[in-house]
Amino acid sequence: MRAIFKIALGIIAAIGGFLDIGDLVFTTQAGALFRYDLLWAVVLGVVGIAVYAEMSGRVAAVSGRPVFDVIRMRLGFGMGLVALVASTFVNLLTLAAELGGIAIVLELLFDAPYSMFVVTGAVALVGIVALLPFGGIERFFGYGGLLLLVVVATVYHQDPNWGDVAHGFVPTLDSSALYLYFVVGVFAAALMPYEVHFYSSGAIEEGWSEQNLKENRLNAIVGYGIGGILSVALVIASGYLFHPLGVEPNDLGTVALPMQGAFGETGLLLALGGMLFCVGGAAIDSSFAASYNLAQFLGWEWGRYQGPRRAPRFTASWLVFLLLGIAIAQSGINPVEITEYSVVFSVVALPLTYLPVLLIAGDRSFMADYANGRVATTLGWLYFGVIVVLAAAAIPLLLVTNAGGG
Amino acid sequence: MSGPREKTLRLRVLALLLPAALAFAPTGCGELSNDELNRGVESLSALAAQGQLVAGGVARDATKTTYARAMARTLGEEAQHEAEKLADATLEEPETADQRHAAVAVAGEIAGLLSELQTFPGDERHGALVQKHLAEAQEKADAIVAQLSGDAP
Repeated sequence: MRAIFKIALGIIAAIGGFLDIGDLVFTTQAGALFRYDLLWAVVLGVVGIAVYAEMSGRVAAVSGRPVFDVIRMRLGFGMGLVALVASTFVNLLTLAAELGGIAIVLELLFDAPYSMFVVTGAVALVGIVALLPFGGIERFFGYGGLLLLVVVATVYHQDPNWGDVAHGFVPTLDSSALYLYFVVGVFAAALMPYEVHFYSSGAIEEGWSEQNLKENRLNAIVGYGIGGILSVALVIASGYLFHPLGVEPNDLGTVALPMQGAFGETGLLLALGGMLFCVGGAAIDSSFAASYNLAQFLGWEWGRYQGPRRAPRFTASWLVFLLLGIAIAQSGINPVEITEYSVVFSVVALPLTYLPVLLIAGDRSFMADYANGRVATTLGWLYFGVIVVLAAAAIPLLLVTNAGGG
Repeated sequence: MSGPREKTLRLRVLALLLPAALAFAPTGCGELSNDELNRGVESLSALAAQGQLVAGGVARDATKTTYARAMARTLGEEAQHEAEKLADATLEEPETADQRHAAVAVAGEIAGLLSELQTFPGDERHGALVQKHLAEAQEKADAIVAQLSGDAP
């Protein structure tokens, strides 16, 4: 009974921790610009992250090796270094965007200068990491993120034309560059590399073994699957309210407007609170992911469970990444723009992250009975094909569409 | 010094930089094409629409004042920025000067209304008035877009 309860808590945390600033921005913009037409791309991304998170968690639980260890093992030092540089760049941009997101939400709640809240938010994160154990950090942000269930209630309240909504789940290919840019953005926002870096290293932080494989599968498939409902709801809520009015959501605060429209101040506060926990959790995940990757690549002692004394370089690098994130967030660039760039650049780094995971998870000599079965192999390769195509298209689309600005 | 390797390397660097240079070239010359003017006015319409939603929250007493103030400030700054961008640029097609002038005026009007909302984020009467005037400003922006795209009667 206790084990079931523990698994349920993990799933709930995965649901609440599913969204980050990239999901919030891209799904809301996708709804405003294309109404429900990109719902299929959201589902495509959610299934993709569930497939690869399950694989990376399984590899970590069975072999005791997190994703970046596997990357270096499979790709060798040279390509591993390329993967490290690419993923560190993307993780840093993501961290800066999440810190900026924290500051914007705090500004909307308390109306004080943005720059002050970037620092305040980062200090609060350091305090939370110092005070809570690893599992506690995950749950703190995961449960808080559940406040965003208000988006689902908003959709129910809006009562859109469900036929139109259902039609959005059928893939349609519009030839416009802007549409394709948002397909890439919505898909990539769900599959940000830091998510699997953090997920697999987290499995080791929590001491997972073969006995946790069921928990891993439920977290990845059920937790992320239900978490994906929040992304779907954001597209619908935004498409319902913003699309007919011609609103272009270029600010994080706009994400909360549909909830204010449905439930007044209560809806607004729940939405802003949920957003705060989501971007806060993602700031922790992306900063940890950057430090995990560096430490694992260089063979340092790593892990929150080790504490600063036993893993001093890991802890120091985490603080350095946080300071760099603060510096970028304070640079005056709009965090929403940083988010768009981090999501699109992440697509380019995706093949380097996911190919080694796919190869090692399917390697029977390494994973024995826990290697990928037929379903995981098929889905894994299908998704890898999609990732490669999108990686090739991402930068040209970014330039042609002026980062979605048309 | 300039052996085949260096030459190849230089060509590679050029091949990498050229697309980026071409992509950024149209934005650097300061000339505003009809399409860009159109997009600028469309974004003014979008700002006015978003402002109406924020003002609507104030009018219905269904928002938090800090949120309304911060949103009004952000949207107002965007409208002001758009006004400056439109006013500063040289028009590629001089016959659209009237529309540009009208767009700058609408942008200023939207920025002014949002500034008022920023000052009175808890006043329902002001909220309702700002909402009404922003709807009018949006209509003006839409009319300019229609003129620019040749859809106006």
